[in-house]
Amino acid sequence: MSNAWSLWVMFLVVFNLGITFILFLWAPRAKVPTLPDGTTGHVWAHGAIREGMHRLPMWWILVSFAMFFGAFGYLMLYPGFGNHKGTLGWTSHGELARDTAANDARLDAAFQRFDKYSIEQLAGDREALAMGEVLFRDNCAACHGRDAHGNVLLGAPNLADNDWLYGGDGKAIETSILDGRHGAMPAWGPQFGDAGVANLANYVLSLSNLPHDAAKATAGKALFTVCSACHGPEGRGNPAIGAPNLTANNWLYGGDLETLETTIREGRGGIMPSWRGRLGANDARVIAAYVYSLSHGDPTNTK
Amino acid sequence: MAYRHFEFIEKHVWTLGILTAIMVSIGGLAEITPLFIEANKVQPAEGVKPYDPLRLAGRDVYVREGCYLCHSQMIRALRFETERYGHYSTASESVYDRPFQWGSKRTGPDLARVGGKYSDAWQRVHLMAPREVVPQSNMPDYPWLSLALLDGKDIQARMRVLRMLGDPYSDADIKNAPKAVAGKTEMDALIAYLQGLGIDNEPQKPAAAPAAPASDGGAP
Repeated sequence: MSNAWSLWVMFLVVFNLGITFILFLWAPRAKVPTLPDGTTGHVWAHGAIREGMHRLPMWWILVSFAMFFGAFGYLMLYPGFGNHKGTLGWTSHGELARDTAANDARLDAAFQRFDKYSIEQLAGDREALAMGEVLFRDNCAACHGRDAHGNVLLGAPNLADNDWLYGGDGKAIETSILDGRHGAMPAWGPQFGDAGVANLANYVLSLSNLPHDAAKATAGKALFTVCSACHGPEGRGNPAIGAPNLTANNWLYGGDLETLETTIREGRGGIMPSWRGRLGANDARVIAAYVYSLSHGDPTNTK
Repeated sequence: MAYRHFEFIEKHVWTLGILTAIMVSIGGLAEITPLFIEANKVQPAEGVKPYDPLRLAGRDVYVREGCYLCHSQMIRALRFETERYGHYSTASESVYDRPFQWGSKRTGPDLARVGGKYSDAWQRVHLMAPREVVPQSNMPDYPWLSLALLDGKDIQARMRVLRMLGDPYSDADIKNAPKAVAGKTEMDALIAYLQGLGIDNEPQKPAAAPAAPASDGGAP
């Protein structure tokens, strides 16, 4: 704030407090003319209502005076009087830094202990799981659901079933959280045409022993060599590139014929955002531990 | 001051009104006028650029649909906010927001740094039908956004007005605007806007920020 504006603020503060102070000096001593009956002579409703004359009660004056002097204390200790920073040196950003440091210190002991464990071991730690569950609900549940069962509309995988796209050990889960994952299933409609897509979809259904058209599936099997580049010759997927296992009857976007045809025809590009910047390494580890625990039983669960 | 002055004020309603107005405006004059007059000194933070045509259209959809009535775009400098939403917001991030979308009502979460938090697909599903992804949400559906196409000429007019107000759009920016929004729906625009919020203009990485604030906040 420039000096001119600082002076402007100081002037207003002095003006305001000055008027208040003058009123304090004047009001208790003011001579108010009263009629013999003790009223001020102000009447309403043809004299039915008359204004009485009473001094401010002493308790009111004292409380008001205390607040008046409190203002001086406040203006001295805290920023408010122009550019005066206040003798306490308080700032909102400074308070944020102190709060954050205090919270970090409070969590530090826990995180130092967590660092000694692998994520798989951490999945058996009651404190880590409690933290991980809260963080999961705040950050992950929007796509994966509060129960972590995923969402077929987004292709957000079920995290509770121990079937993994990119590997299910602690390290892989942590990497998925920190760096995100980008699925890349190309659109095959242009190459295979509607008939080819339908044949392939039936073949994929047959891989999971679901009801399918046997003739179309046989025709699709020949086309599947293209798909096997990512999904493997037997359709068991490839965790290195996140190609899903097609033989487990476990579907990212749904396993009915129509959805499978859409998936093959138009491709899919599911995105898990990177959480490194938002969460940081410590939070990502406890979330990874929580996610790992979902499909490996909860060893701390005594119910 | 004698009692007759007091009586004069009390008995003349315009005098009473004017003097009351002066007294109650002192706080506002002290707090608002300096910031208001010096607002033009706020420079855009590093990486803060005027909205590209698609995001500009999305910003206007955001305003039109009243998103600000439930979503703020201002992260306060309080730990429980920076912990959840990231680095607190700064004035230098909002220099191209006309009007700014800080807001004061949070029925839904703050959106100041929501960009990149979810995928585009999530934003689309969520805007069409929020309860498909967040069962406990009470946000309304906005399905009509995916039906309305953007008008390139309209966006150009908005960019020209913003340039008059001081946003540094070049002639080429305005000329290419229709190409940038061709075939895009209001849904695409809103998603582009949301996905850009706070992304390039975060003053520091959220993890490092609270420990070392960008400024001490002393000078407004």
